Amino acid sequence: MARWRPILTTLIACLALVLMPARPAVAEADSAFSLQGFGTLGLARTTSDDVEYVRDISQPRGIDKDWDALIDSVLGLQAAWRFMPQLEAVVQATSRYRYDKTFTPEIAWAYVKYDPLPNLSLRAGRLGTEFFMMADSRWVGYSFLTVRPPGDYFWYLPFYSIHGADAAISLPMGESVLRAKAFYGLSNGKIPLADEQWDISGSPMLGGYLEYQFGPWTARASYANIRFERDLPFSPVLMKARGFPLSAQDARFLSTRDTRTHYYSLGVVYDSGPWQAQLMLNHIDQGNNALESSDGGYLLGGYRIGEFTPYLGYSWVLSKSRPNAPSAVAAYFMQDSHADQQTTFAGMRWDFARNVAFKAQWDGIRGEASSLFPYRQDNRTRWDGKMDVFSLTLDFVF
Amino acid sequence: MSIRRPILRCAMFCLLILSAAQAWAEIVVVVNARCGVAAMTRNEVINIFFGRNRQYFNGVEAQPVDLTDANPERARFYSLLVGKDLSEINAYWSRQVFSGRAQPPVKVGSAEEVIKWVVSHPGGIGFVDLSKADARVRVVYELAP
Repeated sequence: MARWRPILTTLIACLALVLMPARPAVAEADSAFSLQGFGTLGLARTTSDDVEYVRDISQPRGIDKDWDALIDSVLGLQAAWRFMPQLEAVVQATSRYRYDKTFTPEIAWAYVKYDPLPNLSLRAGRLGTEFFMMADSRWVGYSFLTVRPPGDYFWYLPFYSIHGADAAISLPMGESVLRAKAFYGLSNGKIPLADEQWDISGSPMLGGYLEYQFGPWTARASYANIRFERDLPFSPVLMKARGFPLSAQDARFLSTRDTRTHYYSLGVVYDSGPWQAQLMLNHIDQGNNALESSDGGYLLGGYRIGEFTPYLGYSWVLSKSRPNAPSAVAAYFMQDSHADQQTTFAGMRWDFARNVAFKAQWDGIRGEASSLFPYRQDNRTRWDGKMDVFSLTLDFVF
Repeated sequence: MSIRRPILRCAMFCLLILSAAQAWAEIVVVVNARCGVAAMTRNEVINIFFGRNRQYFNGVEAQPVDLTDANPERARFYSLLVGKDLSEINAYWSRQVFSGRAQPPVKVGSAEEVIKWVVSHPGGIGFVDLSKADARVRVVYELAP
């Protein structure tokens, strides 16, 4: 019940905002100051009590057979102040279920944006990262078709922001536009592991992408890497569970400190009239023994009929196990990062009112019993890798 | 009474024709007559109204202006330009805004204000019914229904 109270409060606050008769339309950008927001009220359940299902691995606990608002509900607020034509300051705060099992609001981004030329934009401060296409709007449910970004593609991306800078340039080439972006900064955040947290703050991240847009087509290739500053907290997890710490040999073998992980991705989006289609592929190359390298992707298509957009999708992820564990304990931790599953999903988005959408979705996850990385609280002896997820969301912007 | 009825009918008929003509009127994209742009293609118009490109071919900064949802021309413009509903346009901009990439074009309340904006900004660009376009602006693209 205690877990529901903040959600309920958020829900009432959101409804009040959405239903307020004289709310300003999205982005009355003619004033120098703008205040805008987004949110989602989400309910979801699965058909298994053997694992807990999360939206991405930034969440320490997930959901099982009971309907729960835990994983998808979010409220975000953005204040933007354009104090000169080329200069803008933006602060965005969000409240969602996060690494410490609370909905504590946090400053998601806070930056200054300077556009020295119409097609050149420079930002500095706390910034969202675009490791993959659309990764920096993952929580803005109203902006996309599905109830949540396909998990097989996005689960392994718990990075949300950096303290750093980025530069983006758009080059019009006749009717098409080429866009390039690069970013560098120190990561900011924590990733939960059992009851412990892996502090990734201070880990340097570097990345960029090249994007080509022509009419309804957008294609993007991107690359990013992170060099971890610290080891995963395996030792304290083991201490709590079994009463002894990690051996020196295992600790050395599983070390992530000063290792670099590389992220590659390719995306193609087609968006024309009632049609929307996306194909995304990624490859994650882990530079350590604790986490497995993986390949993932998804295909999504939707067709709008009036206020309704039915959609269908398929996603997959497969990671590569390392056979060289020095001990049974190390092997146990390494198994935890294995993923091998495919998901078929189908749903409907209903744009029933201005700036509000209702979505319902089914996910059929069909994987191997060894596919543990995406989940929490796994019961390894019973989990068979297969379950269905049912989700309902109400997404809005204001 | 018997005289009034045909007059009433005629008036209603005229109103119908008028409103039909209004609904089928062409929407045109207009720019500030001094910005140096004579014509644009559909994709060039899309690139500017969706914030992908902020410059005309000659380097002048494009300053697009949009209409509020209360104007039926807004829904017709995006429907004719990209075949999208306003909910999809708003979803597109919510992604740009909340990812911190860009703010949408300024919105004004009427066609007269669109013309006023276009005339008063060197790179102004907007859309209006063909009948509202006057000599102060230049038509660079026509959206036939």
